[in-house]
Amino acid sequence: MNYLECRQVTKRFGALEALRSFSLEMEKGEILGLIGPNGSGKTTLFNVIVGIYSPEEGEIFFQGRSISKLPPHKICHRGIAKASQMTQSFLEITVLENLIIPALYGRDLSLKNARMEAESILRFIGLHDLQDVPVSEISLGKRRQLEVGRVLATGAELLLLDEVMAGLNPHELEEALRLLQRIRQEGKTMILVEHVMQAMMQFSERIIVLNHGEKIAEGKPEEVAQNPEVIQAYLGRPYA
Amino acid sequence: MKEPGKKTVFILSILAVLLAVLPAFGLEGYRLRLLALVFMGIALAGCWNLMSGYTGYIDFGPVTYFGAGAYTTALFMIRLDLPFVLSLIFSGIICAFLALWIGLAALRIRGAYFAIATFAAAEALKQIVLEGDRVAGIEFFGGSHGLTLPVPPPSEFFYYFLLGFMVLVTGTSLYLERSKFGYGLRAIRGSEQAAELSGVPTLSLKIKAYILSSSLIGCIGGLEAYWLTYIIPDDVFNVMRTIQMVIMTLLGGMGTVWGPLIGASFLTLVAEFLGTKFVYDYLTLLGIVIIIVILLLPRGIMSLVKFKRGGAR
Repeated sequence: MNYLECRQVTKRFGALEALRSFSLEMEKGEILGLIGPNGSGKTTLFNVIVGIYSPEEGEIFFQGRSISKLPPHKICHRGIAKASQMTQSFLEITVLENLIIPALYGRDLSLKNARMEAESILRFIGLHDLQDVPVSEISLGKRRQLEVGRVLATGAELLLLDEVMAGLNPHELEEALRLLQRIRQEGKTMILVEHVMQAMMQFSERIIVLNHGEKIAEGKPEEVAQNPEVIQAYLGRPYA
Repeated sequence: MKEPGKKTVFILSILAVLLAVLPAFGLEGYRLRLLALVFMGIALAGCWNLMSGYTGYIDFGPVTYFGAGAYTTALFMIRLDLPFVLSLIFSGIICAFLALWIGLAALRIRGAYFAIATFAAAEALKQIVLEGDRVAGIEFFGGSHGLTLPVPPPSEFFYYFLLGFMVLVTGTSLYLERSKFGYGLRAIRGSEQAAELSGVPTLSLKIKAYILSSSLIGCIGGLEAYWLTYIIPDDVFNVMRTIQMVIMTLLGGMGTVWGPLIGASFLTLVAEFLGTKFVYDYLTLLGIVIIIVILLLPRGIMSLVKFKRGGAR
């Protein structure tokens, strides 16, 4: 049984096919990289998996059970969570409270236990010094870290990380890579979408390339990097 | 988002006990009725705050439940000869079902659309009560003539009932500040999508908050019906009652325990003072006072009180 399986998933926005008969199989503990030019359907795929959009065709299975018709909070309870480039923090409340909420609801903990869990995750992501500061007052880099913390606080086992390193300065990028390394050591299953190729090559065990909503290549990072179709998708025909 | 300490609970409890013993120390007549009106304002604004203050969904139709509660209490007392307290309980239950029905539809839309939908629900119900008898050819709601209730007990009865409701609503607000349910509602206010992605069942929490707020408003409507003894649709479904709940909460501070307490006390007492001193111009003056407060303190009077970081904003 596959840990995550997408079977012939299609998602349309009007006439645009953002995902076209996309299929994917993943094992538990695997780290999968997802790349493709802008508009190739990477974020749409994440949004379909976490239930923000429901697919027009095809089905998604997690641990053998279909999740295609579930609302996002139920998919979160099943153990899938997404961190996005557009950070999903609650700006008016403190850093600690931002993690108490997913711990309370994602893991169904009591208030006391959720607070303890949130504090432990803050230490893990290295933001414990900022726990009483409202999120509106922290930097973009810290918000991205908090976004990853939010995903961890839900207790999810499958993490979908959507460009959590975009726009970071070199120092923040280094911190983010270290955080990713620590999450990998925890044995979490991950799908990474990233334009920072250093991260993709370092962490991904397998890479899938999307273009115009279709899978055009799949394989080990070094194989994919040499694939003419991939080069063409990114740079145009003359370079392939 | 500051969890209220034991100090807040202690201050509010002392205040409630003091207010409860005041009639025994000679509070009566006009002053007693004025205080009862303040309690009603606090309870109504507090109910509105439970839903709109904590979730950020601006409900522009709470008067739906005020009117429905007033009419349910009146109809149970007149048509079925039920005692007041039982009729009031039925008002709460019927308003809860009404809120479930309206909420299931309206709470799927947001922002101005939610405000318009709830406003429309209030106007629709007012028209049903106003024209229902004529259209169906029956004598039930009393149409524009309204309904007359049995003779009520003295004002002390309502003073204590309204004090009780004020304590109940404020207590619920205190509970929201420190409970899982409250965290869920404030997550919805922060970002509904982020809340869903964090595992918060947003629709079910919104509906629970809406039902809670609406059934309490319905009970207060029933209480006012019995107090006034005579109700007409144009009064109990009047949009001004909605605006009053909104303004009271905004003046005090949305999404806080103290906001409705301060806002409703301020507005009721200032309106009363201006009403007695400037009989003809008091509404204009009241409008000016409201504009000044909102311009100077856009987050409400509560923002004058300094909170520690992450405090009641």
